Amino acid sequence: MGVYDFKVKTNRGEEKDLADYKGKVLLIVNTASKCGFTPQYAQLQELYMKYKEQGLIVLGFPSNQFAEQEPGSNEEIQEFCRVNYGVTFPLFAKDDVRGTNAQPLFKYLVAEKGFMGFDETHPKAKGLVEFLKEKFPEYLAGDSIKWNFTKFLINRQGEVVGRYEPTTTPASMAGDIEKLL
Amino acid sequence: MVKVYSIPNCPWCEKVKKYLKLKNVAYEEFNVEDSDEARDELYKISGDQIVPVTTIDGKNYVVSFDKVKLDALLGL
Repeated sequence: MGVYDFKVKTNRGEEKDLADYKGKVLLIVNTASKCGFTPQYAQLQELYMKYKEQGLIVLGFPSNQFAEQEPGSNEEIQEFCRVNYGVTFPLFAKDDVRGTNAQPLFKYLVAEKGFMGFDETHPKAKGLVEFLKEKFPEYLAGDSIKWNFTKFLINRQGEVVGRYEPTTTPASMAGDIEKLL
Repeated sequence: MVKVYSIPNCPWCEKVKKYLKLKNVAYEEFNVEDSDEARDELYKISGDQIVPVTTIDGKNYVVSFDKVKLDALLGL
């Protein structure tokens, strides 16, 4: 079983075979489904634009399992929505990424790369952990996806080589991405 | 014909549509995530990819749910 064995649904309702991405470096990320252009979406788009020519593809999987608001953030309330969250990388249909109904791809990804803790040096790590302990303590258990913007790196052979929690910024993944390109 | 450019799960798009219904204004809705053509039109009209955008003539338009601007645009 590998990443290329999975078929997923795009945000236009079409079926997509992940085997179509053979030979590319993939950054698979579960994204917030709230409309808007959060900082992580912006950084993911930047990464995509920077390394696209060299073979990086970012694949975004929106999910609404993680409430609406980034904990501890004071996002300005924008009164409009950005089409496709303002990104140009492929987006897939909104679906579960944790729990019993998690889509098969994500069950596979967390089995390949378990949870190794949050990056405690990140300023938001403490806030996120406290928030989860209080509101969604069951999310902290096991290898499951903990929150929006959990990222997985897949090498050109389809192997899951890295997992990065929401507290790891897309920008900080550049070094690891370059090693795979 | 009044045109409303929107995407699904967009609370302000819903507000615009509700308001137009309330005011008995007929409109045509364009889902720009489904249609590349609609997305291009949106960009031509507003120079950006944000919704909701409401327009009659494709030149004057209102972004977001702004009652005052909508009333002015539609002569309500």
